[in-house]
Amino acid sequence: MDFWSNFLINLVQGLTTTLQILVISIPLSIITGFILGFARVYGNKIIFYISTGISTTFRGLPLIVTLLILFFGLADLKIYLSPFWASILGFTLCGGSYISEYVKGAIQSIEQGQAEAARALGMNKLQEIIYIILPQTLIRALPGVSNEIIYMIQYSSLSFVIGVKEIFSVAKTFNSLYFRSIEIFTTVAFVYLLLIAIATLVFKIIENKLKIT
Amino acid sequence: MNYISLIEYLPYIFEGLLWSLALVLGGLGIGFTIGLPIGTMITYSDKYTKFILNVYIWIFRSTPLIVLLFLFYWGVFPNIGLKLSPLITSIIVLGLRSGAYQSEIFRGALESIDEGQILAAYSLGMSKIQAIISITIPQALRISIPSLSNEYAILLKDSAICFTIGVLEVLTRARIVSIATGIALIPYLIAGIILMMMTYIGLKFFHTVYKKTVIPGLIEGI
Amino acid sequence: MISDTILNVVDLHKKYGDSIALDGVSFRVRKGETKVIIGPNGSGKTTLLKCLNLLVKPDKGRIWLGNIEITDPRININKIRRKIGFVFQDFNLFHHLTVLNNVMIGLVKVRKLKKHQAYKKAVDALSTVGLDNTLYYKYPAQLSGGQKQRVAIARALAMDPVIMLYDEPTSSLDPQFVNEVLQVIRKLAKNGVTSIIVTHQIDFALEIADEIIVMHKGRIIESGRPTELLSNPQNILTKKILIRNFRTLR
Repeated sequence: MDFWSNFLINLVQGLTTTLQILVISIPLSIITGFILGFARVYGNKIIFYISTGISTTFRGLPLIVTLLILFFGLADLKIYLSPFWASILGFTLCGGSYISEYVKGAIQSIEQGQAEAARALGMNKLQEIIYIILPQTLIRALPGVSNEIIYMIQYSSLSFVIGVKEIFSVAKTFNSLYFRSIEIFTTVAFVYLLLIAIATLVFKIIENKLKIT
Repeated sequence: MNYISLIEYLPYIFEGLLWSLALVLGGLGIGFTIGLPIGTMITYSDKYTKFILNVYIWIFRSTPLIVLLFLFYWGVFPNIGLKLSPLITSIIVLGLRSGAYQSEIFRGALESIDEGQILAAYSLGMSKIQAIISITIPQALRISIPSLSNEYAILLKDSAICFTIGVLEVLTRARIVSIATGIALIPYLIAGIILMMMTYIGLKFFHTVYKKTVIPGLIEGI
Repeated sequence: MISDTILNVVDLHKKYGDSIALDGVSFRVRKGETKVIIGPNGSGKTTLLKCLNLLVKPDKGRIWLGNIEITDPRININKIRRKIGFVFQDFNLFHHLTVLNNVMIGLVKVRKLKKHQAYKKAVDALSTVGLDNTLYYKYPAQLSGGQKQRVAIARALAMDPVIMLYDEPTSSLDPQFVNEVLQVIRKLAKNGVTSIIVTHQIDFALEIADEIIVMHKGRIIESGRPTELLSNPQNILTKKILIRNFRTLR
């Protein structure tokens, strides 16, 4: 088989893995981000410190270090994660921590004006959060969340360091076999650019649909 | 597993701090040198120049750093006959990428300066270039400091990715130690802590500069 | 041409998209004269003023400053603008510079004066507008509106302009600061600084103007000495504007 068809077939396999990782870790990190974000605003002291601690740690640690710790480091403690699930855990923790920042900001910007109004309608705190705050947070945090997801698409390439056979690891393997570096990495760059262009477009459409005028 | 020799290796990991710092400061410096002129050109030039520069920005912002690193280290530089060390390659790539991000920072800052000041500069007889250099850029630089400090933190985290082409920065050394001692968790944690401390110290530094350059009386929405 | 004409404006036209801002405006300004332009909002006053130093490019028409045609496309407009002092409604001071540097920057960067010469001229200009010297090292954001506008006037004045243009210089001011700015403008006009003032302060216009120009829909509908306009306004709009405000004057 010639280089290109061999490379492209493997690239598609790698892309499948990349997409699997993203499809699982994007929703998980959004959920994590919202839980952390709300915990940071509404939690009692203990919950506040735990959620803030998680968010600060995983925003401070480079993602690549997080991945190495989750895969190699935890093995020292006899906790064995597969490369695939270690990546998903890493992306979820990192992405969720960043998303919680946007969520927190969104909640606080809404709280300022509308909490009293909700109280005046006779809502209790939980009702206020569910009916008033949450729906608006979803919309207001969206630009930040979409930004974060675009980063996640880029940084999903890092899971190759713990041995996930995703698209970049395919490229790396082919590079060491064929040394056609420019073709190989330009092709991979192109795939990422395409993924990001699609994601950007999708978020634009969603944002326009949800725009409150 | 050998915890005694792990302690002996600690200074070795710490020395990586200098390499990490070189990556970050080098990248930030090159990024600034590229980003300020490009951000300025995008703000003030015609739409064709704008389009071309935006293409550069988009490509370098959207391609994963690791792909760029490998593309330049194995592809671009050897192909044009440049034998560059992993460190130099990494600094250049970090710089090119940061340049794209910094262009956006400076563009945003320049656009936030009210047009009235430029008109006032014209009314004194300044040329467009004079107005940009003496009126808008000094103000834009200051406005950009918080974003630049954010860029510093991002670069520091990205610098760890340069371990993939073997730059002897903190993370690479942690990996070497982990292989030598058979212990992974502690060296990687130490690497992580060193990088987080560097982030913290750097952010403090930027904050001090921002405070020092405050324009009395001016309230900014940052 | 009368020899003491300093500004000659002939048949200016300007459109923004479909809306006409200037529809054939012509007038002359003599040396030492104070011209005041009044008229309702959107009558083209500000556009006219900004055309005079080409911050807005007229579509048609010609402008002479002295014997130089500044609408000549070959002219270096930066050389012209330094001779025309312009005072903006919103001050447009440079936020990052002290009061003194706001006034000095044009002298240093444009007229290429030495620092100490620029300093001397700046201090002269600032004392002409009556700014207290304790304020020289303050930044614009630390000043009151009236102080800001006086600094802006000093900045223009320091360049030794042959004419001063004021674009609604008191419109952005809180009422308590209006007088201090008007006093400066009055003082300069009395000292023979050629001035064109766009304003809504009709009482001030009547008091200070050698000639008032009334604009409406991009045209000059009437012009003349204040006393003439007051005693015998030809246009119903002039009458409305003047009479309403004249009452408050008394």
